[in-house]
Amino acid sequence: MSRINTVLGPVPAEELGYVAVHEHIGYGMPGSELDTKWWKTPEQRYEETVPKLRQFHEYGGRTFVDATGICNGRDVDYYKSLSEKTGVHIVACTGFVGGDTALPHFSRASVDYLARHFVHEITVGIGSTGSKAGVIKVGVSRGGRMTELDKRIYRAAARAAVATGVPVLTHLAIDPEPAVNIFHEEGLSLDRVLFGHVDDGVNAEKTPDRWIIEQGGRLGFDTFGYETELPDPPFWARPRKDRMDHFLRFVKGGHSDRVLASADANCSPLGWPGVKGHTVNYIFEVLIPELRHNAVDEDTITRIFVDNPADFLSIRS
Amino acid sequence: MTDTTTVTSKTINTVLGPVPADELGVVAVHEALLSVVPGAEHAYDITMDRAEIFEILAAKLTDFREAGGRTIVDSTGMFHGRDVNLYEALSRSTGVHIVASTGMGPEEMLGGYFLTPQTNPPTPWPAEKFADLFTKEVIEGMVVPRVERRGAAGIVATTATREGMTPTDESLFRGAARTALATGVPVSIRYGKDALHDLGVVLDEQLPADRVVVGGLDRRDAVAAGAPLEVARRGAFVALDHVGLDDDEDHVDDRERAALLLELVEAGHGHQILLSSSAIGVAKGHPDYELPFGYVASTFVPFAKSAGLTDEDARRILVDNPRNLLTLR
Repeated sequence: MSRINTVLGPVPAEELGYVAVHEHIGYGMPGSELDTKWWKTPEQRYEETVPKLRQFHEYGGRTFVDATGICNGRDVDYYKSLSEKTGVHIVACTGFVGGDTALPHFSRASVDYLARHFVHEITVGIGSTGSKAGVIKVGVSRGGRMTELDKRIYRAAARAAVATGVPVLTHLAIDPEPAVNIFHEEGLSLDRVLFGHVDDGVNAEKTPDRWIIEQGGRLGFDTFGYETELPDPPFWARPRKDRMDHFLRFVKGGHSDRVLASADANCSPLGWPGVKGHTVNYIFEVLIPELRHNAVDEDTITRIFVDNPADFLSIRS
Repeated sequence: MTDTTTVTSKTINTVLGPVPADELGVVAVHEALLSVVPGAEHAYDITMDRAEIFEILAAKLTDFREAGGRTIVDSTGMFHGRDVNLYEALSRSTGVHIVASTGMGPEEMLGGYFLTPQTNPPTPWPAEKFADLFTKEVIEGMVVPRVERRGAAGIVATTATREGMTPTDESLFRGAARTALATGVPVSIRYGKDALHDLGVVLDEQLPADRVVVGGLDRRDAVAAGAPLEVARRGAFVALDHVGLDDDEDHVDDRERAALLLELVEAGHGHQILLSSSAIGVAKGHPDYELPFGYVASTFVPFAKSAGLTDEDARRILVDNPRNLLTLR
């Protein structure tokens, strides 16, 4: 039986449909909740979010993987209400975006404690919500080198992934050698790891993407839409054509079963201004049409957005 | 002709609003009500049962009141479990004035928002941004995260890293000092490695020394270095704030604490001494520290009296000094 944990309960892989594999309902750095400059009323948050999810659903999007880690404003009860009212499956994560987003209770914790925490969120539930995490988020701290804390979190994630069968999704694919070593040491198949943000503007040139594939990992081209062509691009933006060429090298180079794509957009950002006009729907409005324009066939598009994520997200028993 | 403009009302900010300074009574000046290590609220093995937390805190505050206490200062700052709604309910139900604090620190206890912001490069927050954040907590009200502002902070509390003040700690200290200058609330600092150095940072912001309380001066290293007396000479309040901690290698015991207290009084600094036990009402994410909030007044001060502290000085230390510190300027 195939199953994926969503915030409203397990669903079969066959129901996932088109998946946006690395997105955020709303992301804020820990502590941003103390700064009123970012506060929004609940009305505003729903107003900014619901139409995007409804549009996503209308385009054929069925599953939204929220990659907002613990301490970053992850709000599972809110996700439940959004999922229930829009019909979009929402997969919540356990784990951390990076060591620099783990608050002291967790940054001081042992690998064993962190692993137990992740397993609890996957098998029992997140807080009092009853919802189980469907993926484990880990990441590289600012600076592009794995810190001691990042490594502790990766190791705990690997143990939790081995114990529960849910996959691991990374923030940044830079400096992957320590990560790969940790996954090997913990006995986690790299097929269960999506090395995300392999396409981001800051690190793409320095990220050994082919090496990751050779090791058996999956690549996440999941910052689509953060483009230098935007009126006010974020620092991780990249020229649109560079990203597409990068992606096509893998899609057309025999690796279409190893790549996933997403937009890493915030429906309603929590602790930063966000990037105006950039939404999860970039996938349908720009990315998929451009793939077609670049002669990527329908089977391949389905593989990237439906089959690969279903395979990746399905809990391995 | 009567000049009414010279009549100033001396008040303290409590969670239920300003209170006349004369109403404070015996103050527990450096305590923690609900103390939550940042992030612990998300932990799978920690429960946050508000009804239970309330019941425990209410019982402790009632004991404190029965021991003669009238006011408690929660000096944990804005990011260590502070819960303004809970404190309002506690104050109403127990009759104990609660002064809540703004501020944060040390660096390790901050969220990534302040340390690795989403800018390139991720430059940590400077003093003026912390000053703005803390000042608003006094002027506009303390934050209930992403919901509302309530009540006014009565003190700004910050702490430096034990191994030595980091650049971000320094920003916190300067931000706290600027908050005090802008709003009239006092500053509580818990020094890191060097009490005088850390005090110097807030004084460098032109904050008068009598608006500052330096905590942790009953640490062995500080006592050995003569820091309590030197801090007092510079005009700041000296907090011996681990009263009741008798078996800790880092801190002097109550006997030595009483001797230090008398030495400070003897040297003419009786008006600058504050006592506290750093008691914790409810701890989440770190060990409990079960000591009654009234320990200073009901156990330690009688002991200090037996060692020679006069009634007048005792009253000054328990009532007048905290009142003078907390009164808004």
